Amino acid sequence: MSQIEHGKKADKVIDARGLEPPEPFVLTMEALDTIGPDEKLLLILAREPHPLYRALQINGFAYQTERTPQGTIEILIWRNPPPP
Amino acid sequence: MQALLSFDQAPPISVPLRFFLTAPLFAMLAGALLLWSGPDLFASRWTPEALALTHLITAGFMLQVMLGAMQQLLPVVAGANIARPRLIATLVHATITPGTLFLVAGFLTYQPWLFGCAVVFLGLGISIFVAATAFALHGVPANSPIILGLKLALAGLSVTVVFGLLLALALGWSFDLPLIQLANIHLGWGFVAWGCAALGAVGFVAVPMFQLTPDYPGWFGRSFAYSALGFVLLWTLAELAAWTMAASLLSVMVVLIAVVFALTTLRIQRRSKRVRPDPVQRFWQIAMFSALAACTLWLLARFSPLLEDWQGWPLLFGTLLLFGGFMSVIVGMLYKIVPFLVWLHLQHRGRGLLTAPNMKKVLAEVHISRQMVAHFTAFGLLVLASFWPQWFVYPAGLALMVANGWLLRNLLAAIQVYRGHLIKIEAVIASRQP
Repeated sequence: MSQIEHGKKADKVIDARGLEPPEPFVLTMEALDTIGPDEKLLLILAREPHPLYRALQINGFAYQTERTPQGTIEILIWRNPPPP
Repeated sequence: MQALLSFDQAPPISVPLRFFLTAPLFAMLAGALLLWSGPDLFASRWTPEALALTHLITAGFMLQVMLGAMQQLLPVVAGANIARPRLIATLVHATITPGTLFLVAGFLTYQPWLFGCAVVFLGLGISIFVAATAFALHGVPANSPIILGLKLALAGLSVTVVFGLLLALALGWSFDLPLIQLANIHLGWGFVAWGCAALGAVGFVAVPMFQLTPDYPGWFGRSFAYSALGFVLLWTLAELAAWTMAASLLSVMVVLIAVVFALTTLRIQRRSKRVRPDPVQRFWQIAMFSALAACTLWLLARFSPLLEDWQGWPLLFGTLLLFGGFMSVIVGMLYKIVPFLVWLHLQHRGRGLLTAPNMKKVLAEVHISRQMVAHFTAFGLLVLASFWPQWFVYPAGLALMVANGWLLRNLLAAIQVYRGHLIKIEAVIASRQP
């Protein structure tokens, strides 16, 4: 899926390429604070953020990762629906 | 959001920190040794003082930081959790620290019992470390350059130490062994199969991530560690079998491994997204230029009789490689690792109630820059001392003590921020309890 296709699905986009750790993590978590239950956040990075994945799982978020042909990592993140 | 981080993979902060805080003390001792010994140290690479100085930096400074960093990295990058990390760290630290002191004292006095103690303590400490990390890495597929590189570097460390212990026994009890040849093999394994392979593995991840450069090329990740270990192994076999021509050719290949690492790193650094390099980037840049200068000097000395006759060239080579190369990279890495660890552990301890301070507030860039000036001043004076020891050995010794005292102060300041913030977290938690 391209950045544009991903971008269309996302309500908010963070391009964290060019930021030094842990800045992308901090920005992502701040942004996730503000998104609604049906909203999605797109995070664009230069490499896969393994610690972020674990943090998303722990904090109740789902995500989908795509690697573009240029090697950029795009992660679409949304809130897991609360258990019934 | 005060996100909860995954903490199942991070060892306690005290595990790496004890190693990081001990390292500058050894470098300060190296400075004191320069002041105590004076210009005589620079008479040859084989003077007792030069051997003691070399091991204060390699076993005292470099080994401490590299073992501490590996205990932090292995669980995080490879999912290789060391069982009972605090106990292993305590045992390793409590053995390699006195082991290094015994070794240095052994060089300065040539008392066999001191070499004996060094062999026991260093041998035990490194064996515990290698066994614990090998056990943790057992079954972890080497599917990334960092895991592969660290596995091969561990093999490099083991061989370096075996040759080192053999040399210590030979020196202590005057065994009839080809000491110079064995010392060169020990040096080749230590610098290339352990040092370069480990730095290559860590740099492969850390340089693009923290210096905002493009990735290292794919061939580098696939073949660097194998080449480092492979060429050093072939060269060692050729040396031991007395195949002079092959050994000579292979030794050039071993040095070229370091050249490839330095040139590749400088190439990707040139394409960093940062407009102005930060101090850590500077540490790495100067380290790579210094390593290149060391390798050029080695190659020139190998082929130029004029240079080969100069007693001072091995000392200049050692200064460029150890102080300018390895030490600069390691200090630079400490300035990324320590603030990051403080941030990571505070984020976890905050339990979502209190934000961890920004990494730049844990250790301000201005303090890093000032210490960097002190570090490179000491390095410059050491280079001058290898040409004119009578003039520069004392300023160099003093500058080395100042630079590393400053490094220790900076690291302690970061830990002070950690402690101060923990008190705040405890106060917030206490205020919320009914």
